[in-house]
Amino acid sequence: MTEALSFLLAYLIFPGLLFTGAVSLLFVGIDRKIAAHMQNRIGPPIWQEFFDVGKLFGKEDITPSSAQTTVFTLAPLLAFGAIVAVMLLLPVNSAQPALVLVADLIAIIYLLNIPAICVMLGGYSSACPFGASGASRYVVQLFGYELAFIIAALAVAVKVDSLSLSDFVSYQAQNGWLVLDWRLLPALIASLIAIQGKLLRVPFDIPEAEVEIVHGPLTEYSGPKLALMRIAYDIEILAVAGFITALFLGGPTPFNIGGVQIPGIVSFLIKCLAIVLFTTTLRCIAARLRIDQAVRFFWTFAVILAVMSLLLVI
Amino acid sequence: MTFVVPIGPQHPALLEPEHFRFEVRGEEIIDVKIRLGYMHRGIERGLMDRTYYQGLYLAERICGICSHAHNLCFSQTVERLAGVEIPDRARYIRTIVAELERIHSHLLWAGVAAHEIGFITLFMLFWRDREHVQDLLEMISGNRCYYSMCAIGGTRRDMRPEHLPKIDRGLKVLEKATKHYVSVATSDRTILARCENIGVLTKQDARNFCAVGPHARASGVDVDMRRDDPYAAYAEIPFGVVTQSEGDVFARVVVRLREVLEAIGIIRHALDKMPTGPIRTRVRAKIPPNEATSRVEAPRGELLHFGISNGTEKPERWRVRPPTYANIPSLVPMFVGGTIAEIPIVLASIDPCMCCTDRVTIVDVTTGKSRILTMEELRRMAR
Amino acid sequence: MKASEALEAIENYVVESKILDERRAIAVTDLARYRDALFALKNKDVRHVSTITGIDAGEDIAVIYHLHCGGSLLNLKVMVPKKDPRLRTVTDIFPGAALYEREVMEMLGVTFEGHPDPSRIFLPDDWKEGHPLRKGWKK
Repeated sequence: MTEALSFLLAYLIFPGLLFTGAVSLLFVGIDRKIAAHMQNRIGPPIWQEFFDVGKLFGKEDITPSSAQTTVFTLAPLLAFGAIVAVMLLLPVNSAQPALVLVADLIAIIYLLNIPAICVMLGGYSSACPFGASGASRYVVQLFGYELAFIIAALAVAVKVDSLSLSDFVSYQAQNGWLVLDWRLLPALIASLIAIQGKLLRVPFDIPEAEVEIVHGPLTEYSGPKLALMRIAYDIEILAVAGFITALFLGGPTPFNIGGVQIPGIVSFLIKCLAIVLFTTTLRCIAARLRIDQAVRFFWTFAVILAVMSLLLVI
Repeated sequence: MTFVVPIGPQHPALLEPEHFRFEVRGEEIIDVKIRLGYMHRGIERGLMDRTYYQGLYLAERICGICSHAHNLCFSQTVERLAGVEIPDRARYIRTIVAELERIHSHLLWAGVAAHEIGFITLFMLFWRDREHVQDLLEMISGNRCYYSMCAIGGTRRDMRPEHLPKIDRGLKVLEKATKHYVSVATSDRTILARCENIGVLTKQDARNFCAVGPHARASGVDVDMRRDDPYAAYAEIPFGVVTQSEGDVFARVVVRLREVLEAIGIIRHALDKMPTGPIRTRVRAKIPPNEATSRVEAPRGELLHFGISNGTEKPERWRVRPPTYANIPSLVPMFVGGTIAEIPIVLASIDPCMCCTDRVTIVDVTTGKSRILTMEELRRMAR
Repeated sequence: MKASEALEAIENYVVESKILDERRAIAVTDLARYRDALFALKNKDVRHVSTITGIDAGEDIAVIYHLHCGGSLLNLKVMVPKKDPRLRTVTDIFPGAALYEREVMEMLGVTFEGHPDPSRIFLPDDWKEGHPLRKGWKK
C-alpha cells in the first residue's frame, strides 16, 4: 500500500509531474529571456512559459474532421506520460532514482523516443499536408541524431561497465566527472549535437520550421492538447539535460559551502541549466539547415565523434 | 506520386497573401502554379477617378516600402505630361530620399530573408540597424513610412542645415553595420549552406522572363534605371551598378547588401553637391493632352508609370507596372527542381511586394458587395 | 540604344512614329505588321518588355507594348477593333510578356490567340461582371 502511495507521490509530485513541470517551464522561460538578450532585445519575463501554457489550456480544442481522432487525441497523452516517466528514472536528488530498474539506460533511451514518435503520429493523423510533411521530416531527423546519441551513451556505459544510471553517478562520485576524461570528450560533444536535434532547436528545428510548414506535426493541434504537447516538449528539455548530466557531469552530487550542506538536487538543477543554456547559445548563432544537410551532418561529424569515444574506451 | 502543398494565401512564410500551389514528390518540387490578386485594391481605376494631386497620395500608398518610388515616378510622369522642369534642389532631395528608402528596403528585406532561413538572431540585428534609417527618414520627412516627400513640381519639404550632421552620423553607423553584415553573410557556414546554389536563375532566363532590379542583376543582367534612364539627380552623381553572376539566393543577398553601401555613397555625394534654391515650381491643375512614361529604379527594380492626360484635371488613363510583377514569371524556373525547404528563401529572394503587384482595378460604389471597395474604404485603408 | 535608333530598326513596320526626347519614342503600327516590328527589335537584342497597356479608345482598344531598348523606352501601339478584339500573342517572341497579356485579357476583353495559359490573374475565377477597364464599365 505504501509502495503504491509512494510511487504515486513520486510520479505526481517529486520528481514527477509537479516538480518537473514547474522546473522545466521555468528553465524554458530563462532560455527565452537569455536568447532575447543575445538578440539585442528584452524578451518575455521568465514566467512567460507558465502564462502561455495556462492560456492554451483555456482555449478551444479543435480536432479536424478528417483526422484520425483516436491517434490524434492519444498522441499528446502518451508523450506526456512517457516523458514524466523518464524523470522518475533519472537520478535527481541522489544516486538512486525514484524508480529503480535493472538496465535503466536502455529504458530511458527508449522512453525518450516516445515523445518523438507521438509527435510524428500526431502529425500523420492530423490530415494536414504540413503535418505529414513535418512528421516525415521528423522521422528522417530521428534516424540522424539517434545513432550519435546512442553510441555516445554506449561509450559511457562501456567505460563504467554498467547499464544503470545510478552506477554512473556513483562511479563519477568516486573517480571525478566523466567529462574530464579526455577519451569521453568527443562523446560529450556528439551528444550535445545530438540533443540539439532531439530537442528540435536551431539549426535542427527542421520538422517544425514555421516559415516552411507552419508548425509541422503540431499544426492542427489547439487548446489543451497543444498545451500537453508543449509541456511534454519542455519537460523533454529538462529530461535530456538531466540525462547528459548523469552521464558526463556527475549527476546530483551534494556539496558543501561554508559548512552548509547543499542537497544533490540543487547541483543537478544547476548542471541542467548549464546544458540548457548551451543549447540556447547554439540556437542563437546559427541558421536552420535543410533536412538532407542535417542528416549528413549527424552521420558524419556527430557519429564519428561518438564512435571515436567508443573505440577509445573499449 | 505527386503531392500538392499549398502555400498561401495565409502562411508564415508570406508577408502578404498570395497563393502558390506546389506539386511535390517527396521534398522535390515538380511544378508550381501562381495565383495573385489577394491584395487587389482598384488603384488604376482609382487613379483615373482622381485629380493628379489626389492621385499623388493614392499612388504613394500602392506600397509601404517602395512608397517614395511610386511617389517619385508619379510626380515625374505628371511633370513630363505638363512639360515642367523642377528646380535642381528638389531633384537632389528626391535622390537622397530615394536612396534612404533603398537602404531601408534592403535592410528590411535582409531581416526577412534571415528569418526565412531560421536565423532569428540576424533578423533581429538587421531590424535594429534599420531603425537608424527610419530615424533619418522621420527627421527629413516627418514620417517613418509614406514619406510624401514629392509634390507635383518639386518636393514638399526642404532639408535643413541641422539635418546634415545627423545624417552624417547615421550613415557612418549604417556603413559600419552593413560592412559587418557582408562579412557575416559571406562567411557563416549555415547561411552559405542555405543560400548557395539555391533558386538559381540563369542570365538567359532572367532576360527572357524580363526580370528587373537586384534580382536580375544577381543573375548578371547589367540593367539599372538610374544609369540607363537617368532621372532626378542621378545623371550628375557617379555610382557603381552592383552585379553578380551566379544567380543564386546568395548572389541576391550580396547584391542587395552592396547596394546599401553604394546608396550610402550616393547620399554623401548628393549632400555634398546639393544646390541651393527653391524646391517647387507651380504646375497647373489642368494638364493639356499628352502621354508620358517615367521609369524609376525602385528598391525592387524597374518601376514604370505611364500616363495619358486629356486636358482636364484627371488623367485619361494611368498604368502602373511595379517591379515585383515583372519578377513573378521568373519564379517558376527558380522553384522547379528545388525542395520544399527552399520555398520561403527563394520566394523571399526576389523581394516580393504583393501590394505593388496586385494594384489593378475593380471598384464600384453602388453594389455594396463585400469584396469591392468603396471610396470610403480606400481612403480609410490609405490612412 | 537611343530613341532614334530604336525607331530606325522598325521604320518599315510602322504607320507613324515620333521622337519625344532623347530616350522616349512612340510608334503606331497595325495588326498586320506589329509582330514584324517586334521581331526586328529582338534582332537588335531587345529582350525586355516593360509592360503591355490596354486602353479603351472608343471604337478600338489600343494595345501598347512598352519596350526597353537599352536606355530608351519605345511605346509601340496597335489598334484592335472593339467588335473583334483579337490579336496573336507575343509570348513566343518575348516569354516575359505572359502575365501582362493575361491582365489585358481580363481587364479589357482582348483575346491573345495562342497564349500558353489564358487564365485569370487578378480577378477571381468566377468573375462574370465584365471587363473593368472598359470605359462604360459599371456593375
